Amino acid sequence: MIIGIPRALIYWKRPCFWEIFFENLGFKVLLSPLTNKEIIQKGTMVSDPETCFSNKVYWGHLLSLEGKCNFIFVPRLKTNKEKLEYCPKFFALPDLAKILVKTPILTETFDERREKFEKTLLKLGKKLRKNKKEVERAKKIAFLKEKELEKKKQKEFFEKIESKKPKIVLVSHPYNLYDDYINLRIKDKLGELGAEAIFIDEVPNPKTQHPIKSQVPSPDIQFHWEFGKEIMERISMILDYEITGVIELSSFQCGCDAVLKEFVERKFKKNKIPFLYLIIDEHTGEAGIQTRLEAFIDTLGL
Amino acid sequence: MRPIITFARWGNYTIVFKTLFEQLGLKVVSPEKTNQETIAQGVKIAPEMYCFPLKVNLGNYLSAIRRGANTVFMATSLSGSCRLRYYGVVQDKSLSEAGYKVNFITFDQSPRALYLKIKEVSGASFWQILKAVYFAFKELRFIEKLEKKGQYFRPREKKRGETDTILRETFFDLENIKNFKKFSELKKRTFEKISEIEIDKKKDIPKVALIGEIYTVSDSAINFEVEEKLGREGIEVHREMDLTYHLKKAIFPWKDWTIQNKINPYLKSTVGGHGRDAIYEMLNYVKKDFDGIIHLLPMSCMPESTIRPILEKIHLQSGIPFLSLSLDEQVGEAGVDTRFEAFVDVVKNHHNKK
Repeated sequence: MIIGIPRALIYWKRPCFWEIFFENLGFKVLLSPLTNKEIIQKGTMVSDPETCFSNKVYWGHLLSLEGKCNFIFVPRLKTNKEKLEYCPKFFALPDLAKILVKTPILTETFDERREKFEKTLLKLGKKLRKNKKEVERAKKIAFLKEKELEKKKQKEFFEKIESKKPKIVLVSHPYNLYDDYINLRIKDKLGELGAEAIFIDEVPNPKTQHPIKSQVPSPDIQFHWEFGKEIMERISMILDYEITGVIELSSFQCGCDAVLKEFVERKFKKNKIPFLYLIIDEHTGEAGIQTRLEAFIDTLGL
Repeated sequence: MRPIITFARWGNYTIVFKTLFEQLGLKVVSPEKTNQETIAQGVKIAPEMYCFPLKVNLGNYLSAIRRGANTVFMATSLSGSCRLRYYGVVQDKSLSEAGYKVNFITFDQSPRALYLKIKEVSGASFWQILKAVYFAFKELRFIEKLEKKGQYFRPREKKRGETDTILRETFFDLENIKNFKKFSELKKRTFEKISEIEIDKKKDIPKVALIGEIYTVSDSAINFEVEEKLGREGIEVHREMDLTYHLKKAIFPWKDWTIQNKINPYLKSTVGGHGRDAIYEMLNYVKKDFDGIIHLLPMSCMPESTIRPILEKIHLQSGIPFLSLSLDEQVGEAGVDTRFEAFVDVVKNHHNKK
């Protein structure tokens, strides 16, 4: 039996976890191909014109999996471990997916206000006719791999912080940061311009890491969104290091970013760090981004 | 500093907010009627990517601040998953960044938080607050009843425009009423006047329902008076979304459970805002054999744009005429009118074929 996972949006919230989990349960996993032009075109065609760009990309990935697997895995992410909510657009993903594709959708609601993540995994295993032991084993391996990745990320972060190049922080959601087609290879482009790009994701969270210089100050806004809180916390952490500039990437029509941007921008401006706000959508061209990045690097006066 | 209160405008309900604060002995500058100018001013200082109602609200505040208001009253942390939660914070930030020095008062939506805040601002006694809230609530019921009457009488009246004239006069009088006795008199007078409207009871009238985001649906200045326009074309408009509906849901949560039960085949979770309600209402109206559905939403509203594919699916399954309109500062009245006119033709055809 083959389980398909669209490699976009919520996949990047837990990269590797789901594929390893399902593989260890004895299923074949089919990831959708890396984002390309065709996928984006397909997604834009079927989706609601006013939904955000990231969602459109997700529908493209979903369509590219149709007919190639027995199930498509679309979880409904509602709240995370800290009982903070995900974007409300994630809540309706499985229902909307059912309208789009004929392949059966495999789904489960992950709401940690109601029940623990582990328990929901057991329920998911039951749907796939796997017993408790098998699920526990698969879960353990997947968690280990996730931890390993986390460690690698942090090691890389400290290496980057040590480097002599000017450091530029990229603030965005993981699904914009790690998808190279969507962010138009912004990391490589910054590298070519002689700067070191640091993803906000790589910054150790002050909750798990001891703060180096100062205590975490209380934030000026309390977000009920998990990414909102996390990004604000990580920003207060990165301010302890010497950084040259900040770029915030946002997908077009992203409702959450409209709120987030206000506070991210204010925080950096207070600390007198140059800030660039880039919006990406299906029409964004590489040349346009290149020009804006070059201009931004020039203003930093290196 | 004596607080001079202002607040966001919301259709005819603005009168209710005004009464509430005036009965508490506070000075109120009620915002001007929303027009293109107010919206343009709001857009200037609002975050670019934010949703449309926030921009309109900011425009409303500005018009009131120019006439002397120094305190803004706005609900915040409304329980829900959408951006409405941050309205208070973001509006406060936008106003202060644009250089307006106002006292921005935010309160939670729970009755207790509202009570404490009102008490703090006005210093009124418990009895006074209770009286003011009672008066305001009675007015709210009256306004909603009038709106419902208008929806019924407009397509049936023999002399065109009679209903609208009466309603307009009543709303104008209602704004200046200060005590309960006069309010009762006005109520009686208005209902008498309405009962004298000559109507054609046997007329075969197509029915259209308005669903969608609560603010755009119930503020006639934002939705280009869709109810009046359709009424004049001879169509009866139904709308379930109003302020009482929202308040009722905030106090009694079980309405949400019934809604969830009914829409389970389409959507198995909340999406924030009134996303679920729109699906529930649409299913209901399809069952009642309506002749058309109009879905109104502010441009890129998170809950409503998420559920739109589901509404479209219901539309395809049932064959009911469906029009979804996103409203924002760039939408012009002429463009919307054309679409309404075309939709009216579709609705009438659908009705005649039945």
